Amino acid sequence: MSHSGEDPDHNQTPTAASDSISDATADKDLDDDDYADEEEELSEESKLRAQKAKMENLFHRISNETVPLRVHDVLIKGNNRTKESLIEAEIECLREATSVQELLKAASIANARLQRLDIFESVNITLDSGPAELPGTTNVIVQVVEPRMPYSGDFGVYSRPELRTWTLEAAGKLKNLFGYGDLWDSSLVYGWDQMSEFSAGVYLPRFKGIPTPVTARASLFSQDWLKFSSFKENMLGVSFGLLSTKNHDLAYNLSWRTLTDPSQMASSSVRRQLGHNLNSALKYTYKIDNRNSSFRPTKGYAFVSTTQIGGLSPDTRCLRYLRQELDLRCAFPLGFYNAALNFGVSVGVLFPWGSGFRSKPTSLLDRFYLGGTSSPVCTLGGPTSVLGFKARGLGPTELRRKGKDDNESSDSYPGTDFLGGDLAITAFADLSFDLPLRVLREAGIHGHIFASAGSLNKLSENAYRNLSYQKFRESLRSSIGCGVIVPTKIFRMEVNYCHIVSQQASDRGKTGVQFSFSSP
Amino acid sequence: MEGGGKTITLVARKACFGLPTACPSCLPVYVFLKLTGLPFFFNYNLTYPDSDQIPYVETDECNVAYDNENGGVIETLKKDGIVDLDTGLDDIPEWISIKAMITSWLADAVLYELWVGSDGTSAYKIYYSDLPWPISKFLYYKQVNLAKQLLGITKENAVRREKEIYSKATKAYEALSARLGEDLYLFESRPTSLDALLLGHVLFTLHALPETSNLRSKLLTHTNLVKSAESFMTNYVVTSDSSSGLQPGDPLSSGSQSQSHQSTSASGRGSSNWRSNPRSKPKREKTEEEKTFRRRAKYFLVTQLAAVLIFLSLFGGSDNVDMEVDNDDDGSIYG
Repeated sequence: MSHSGEDPDHNQTPTAASDSISDATADKDLDDDDYADEEEELSEESKLRAQKAKMENLFHRISNETVPLRVHDVLIKGNNRTKESLIEAEIECLREATSVQELLKAASIANARLQRLDIFESVNITLDSGPAELPGTTNVIVQVVEPRMPYSGDFGVYSRPELRTWTLEAAGKLKNLFGYGDLWDSSLVYGWDQMSEFSAGVYLPRFKGIPTPVTARASLFSQDWLKFSSFKENMLGVSFGLLSTKNHDLAYNLSWRTLTDPSQMASSSVRRQLGHNLNSALKYTYKIDNRNSSFRPTKGYAFVSTTQIGGLSPDTRCLRYLRQELDLRCAFPLGFYNAALNFGVSVGVLFPWGSGFRSKPTSLLDRFYLGGTSSPVCTLGGPTSVLGFKARGLGPTELRRKGKDDNESSDSYPGTDFLGGDLAITAFADLSFDLPLRVLREAGIHGHIFASAGSLNKLSENAYRNLSYQKFRESLRSSIGCGVIVPTKIFRMEVNYCHIVSQQASDRGKTGVQFSFSSP
Repeated sequence: MEGGGKTITLVARKACFGLPTACPSCLPVYVFLKLTGLPFFFNYNLTYPDSDQIPYVETDECNVAYDNENGGVIETLKKDGIVDLDTGLDDIPEWISIKAMITSWLADAVLYELWVGSDGTSAYKIYYSDLPWPISKFLYYKQVNLAKQLLGITKENAVRREKEIYSKATKAYEALSARLGEDLYLFESRPTSLDALLLGHVLFTLHALPETSNLRSKLLTHTNLVKSAESFMTNYVVTSDSSSGLQPGDPLSSGSQSQSHQSTSASGRGSSNWRSNPRSKPKREKTEEEKTFRRRAKYFLVTQLAAVLIFLSLFGGSDNVDMEVDNDDDGSIYG
């Protein structure tokens, strides 16, 4: 494959000067310093001219033909803490280069990979001439700068629209503690009376021969669902990210979950589920996203399949369930006003397994809940969103316990608990288009018209026997509307007018203006 | 009879030791409902041993009597007008003092026997046998500590407190035995909630506590108390299983299981053992289920240990070993 036999000139190597490549761009801006002072001696100037001419010639050749080159050695400098094996693994592609072009490309990839480890302040890859006795070779010098302080911290107040609450969040990060590119982090989230979470984890970019990142995380989590379903969830667990590539993701989770009802108002079904359970589950996600944008997709498609198997333990008293989610999104450009049609369908099924599985219930924590204001166009997380309905605002419900307050009349309405469902289906159609004003167009602000529908049904405890086409149609809720979308760098804001087409008495759907925030 | 035609459901803890529910808090409520003669459904919650809400009685879709409200389930049922067996009795001083004795002295003795004075086998079977291993162990030790705190037991006073608890229990048994005499019920030859409390205690002590139990041996000396419990089991539990008094429960929601307690007199110790004196700790035959569980638990532990060792050896040893890198890395893998 080498071109060296074709032209003797090919043996010429870029020995004149070190060729510095920074930030993944091998620019041809070899030092302007080479243009020497006018006060320098003439011989010096002529030398430089000759050198410049040589370099120009080289660049000309690089841009026109393949220049063979072999990497003789790779020198790594500046890694006081980082293990050399980690850096070598990331820059392996440099050694395979057989030409200058390939080497430049490999250098930019290696640079990007090292930067992505997030453990260096800067990375500089320099191509130097190889030993004089080995013409056509180069030495690659990888110069990394490790941060003086390998820790960082964040603190802020964030909005969580899906829970209708604000949270105070603090996070600390420790980088490269053991030199394996390991990132240690801990975070604390506190949402007034609603949720709190403390978690700590480690991220390893490579673990032995496994070329994909491995993660481990321990967390302590508490979430208040009293407003929606009269229970509070406490969770103590560990999770391990076993495999993470562009399309595949495999994770294991072991958690002790406790459901309590401090309000003592839970409905019968929720009451029967109160207590402890152990979840030992493996989750596999397959994802393809070919859309041109996740904020405003106008072309392409996306598909996500998430399979979860619970009960992977010899102890039969662990929760045993199968949970499958499928998510499909398609965008079709219409060719005028930057208009595009987006379609999406999401399906989720949950079912227990093990002896007597047909009559067993599924856990409230694993069930599907629909509603909420997150945009179905952006979100790729299974069946969740039906615009116009509040979070956990539709599906099977049950009456709560009556209040024991003496002042309360005995026939007062106790309210309902949303129980979630085992079979969830949502679908949407969305037509987005540019607005006529140029100012809005330039800011990316555009309009859309949408229709969304969702259905939530129970399958467990033999309920699947009663599920007929008629019942499924009755369980269908839908809404239509239009709105304006304001995309920003970190989130997408929508102001929508929603009209509820069909809903049931216990649902929390509302015709009117709605604000929603989504992150991709 | 009260009840108003409502569907009553009792949710209690696990049935074992030949008892319909072997929890010392749930058994009196079960006995009470039996004594009222009201038909009721019976369900179990097997996953919430540390709840003070259990037992609870659902009187309709939206009404529940929790054990941690209004002085307990029986008091709530009385207050709500669902059922009351104590009309005209519950303000008699003697009635009140007997109730106080059962709910404090005898309840303390049971608490001590169950969590502190025994090896915990009974407690484990009643409360934790349906929970996965790590959860059950943690909750058991938590409850042991809580029981010690409630009873005011420390390392220094353990022996003294034990003596005191047993002494009070002995006195209570003597007083109750004297009060009961040859009757079946404590007051006016009719069943009351006080009988339910006493019968619940006696049945639990006889059936659920180990044969080596001190409390059980003290109780066995009072034959009339034992006889009244036997009589209740014969008249209400065994016979009603085949008649209309007790109906099997509905299939439960998560965390619970519907269980029929047909085995009341078939499993566990039979009544013939009740009069036996305490003897050396018997060697209990393991059931097939227990054997399977133990085998599986061992397998689980061994695999977990192996996994941890493998992880540690791989992770710990990586310092000296060069990382192996796949040469076909194409960059897309990080996507």
